[in-house]
Amino acid sequence: MFNEKIVNPNELRHWEGRIELYWIYTSGEAGDRFFKALKDEEKFIAAKCKKCGKVYFPPRMYCEFDFSETEYVEVSGEGSVRAFTVARLDKDEKPLEKPEIYAIIDMDGTDGCMVHLLGEVEPEDVYIGMKVKPVLKERGEREGKITDILYFKPS
Amino acid sequence: MSVGKKDISCPPEAPGTPLKDSDIKEKKVTYVEDHPDMRYAWTAGQAISRFLNELKEGKLIATKCNKCRRILFPPRIFCELCYKPIDDWVYVQDTGTVQTFSISYIDPDARPLKEPIIVAVIAVDGASKNMAFMHVLGEVEPEDVYIGMRVKAVWKPEEEREGSVTDIKYWKPMEK
Repeated sequence: MFNEKIVNPNELRHWEGRIELYWIYTSGEAGDRFFKALKDEEKFIAAKCKKCGKVYFPPRMYCEFDFSETEYVEVSGEGSVRAFTVARLDKDEKPLEKPEIYAIIDMDGTDGCMVHLLGEVEPEDVYIGMKVKPVLKERGEREGKITDILYFKPS
Repeated sequence: MSVGKKDISCPPEAPGTPLKDSDIKEKKVTYVEDHPDMRYAWTAGQAISRFLNELKEGKLIATKCNKCRRILFPPRIFCELCYKPIDDWVYVQDTGTVQTFSISYIDPDARPLKEPIIVAVIAVDGASKNMAFMHVLGEVEPEDVYIGMRVKAVWKPEEEREGSVTDIKYWKPMEK
């Protein structure tokens, strides 16, 4: 009698509301440089600590270990798969026609990594340590966002 | 864990990067934006939903636990003492006793009120001990209210009721 689980709140007395929300998140100085170089020059920018030599990717203005300034350096954008997962459902839990492969990619020449999609490869062929390189959108379609990189493909 | 001064040198200052609205509008800087459509529905739950609907009928409903034999008011769907679902619905009376009260000279927005309101916790007849709910008292002066005073609900006319606690206008003293 009282144990049935009610999932739909509209079956009971309820009050509906809506929260207005609008936000802009800017990339910051180092992030701005990264995205502009990606968009305009197809270049990947990292930042090297002037003191300890740690190379940040994505770039940072300051080294978080010794608070030193960094200098921007160009890297290839290529890297290797550190970890990956295969998504077969979309964010609404509906089956995807084609599974999506998300990977953490260690960027060559840096101490950093990024999370992005893998493409032009089947899930069963991906392995940890696989060398990959970026595939970018066409020049005119790029807008200075992480989606300017379509995916990484085996190199 | 290291103790004491670390050998680090901080930048003399981190001035930040001030941005103008035009920097965003003219896309001088890169950014991401979103307008999430956040909707919600807040539900009163099974027990309070029925409680509110019954108010429309001019009745106060409670729930009953057959194990501890308590009458829970306002109704709850679960007995927190016996840790089990309740067993039945029972009506309680629209009379009760003032357990505690407070005289408020300001409204919910902290604006002064012309006439003070008397907020009281009323133990309703028919419900178990320590079962009470908060409402307002009327037809009585603040200086005449006392703990233990017997009160009775004054309801809105049936056609004006909407299934809300305000379907009871106030509680008035039973004795004259």
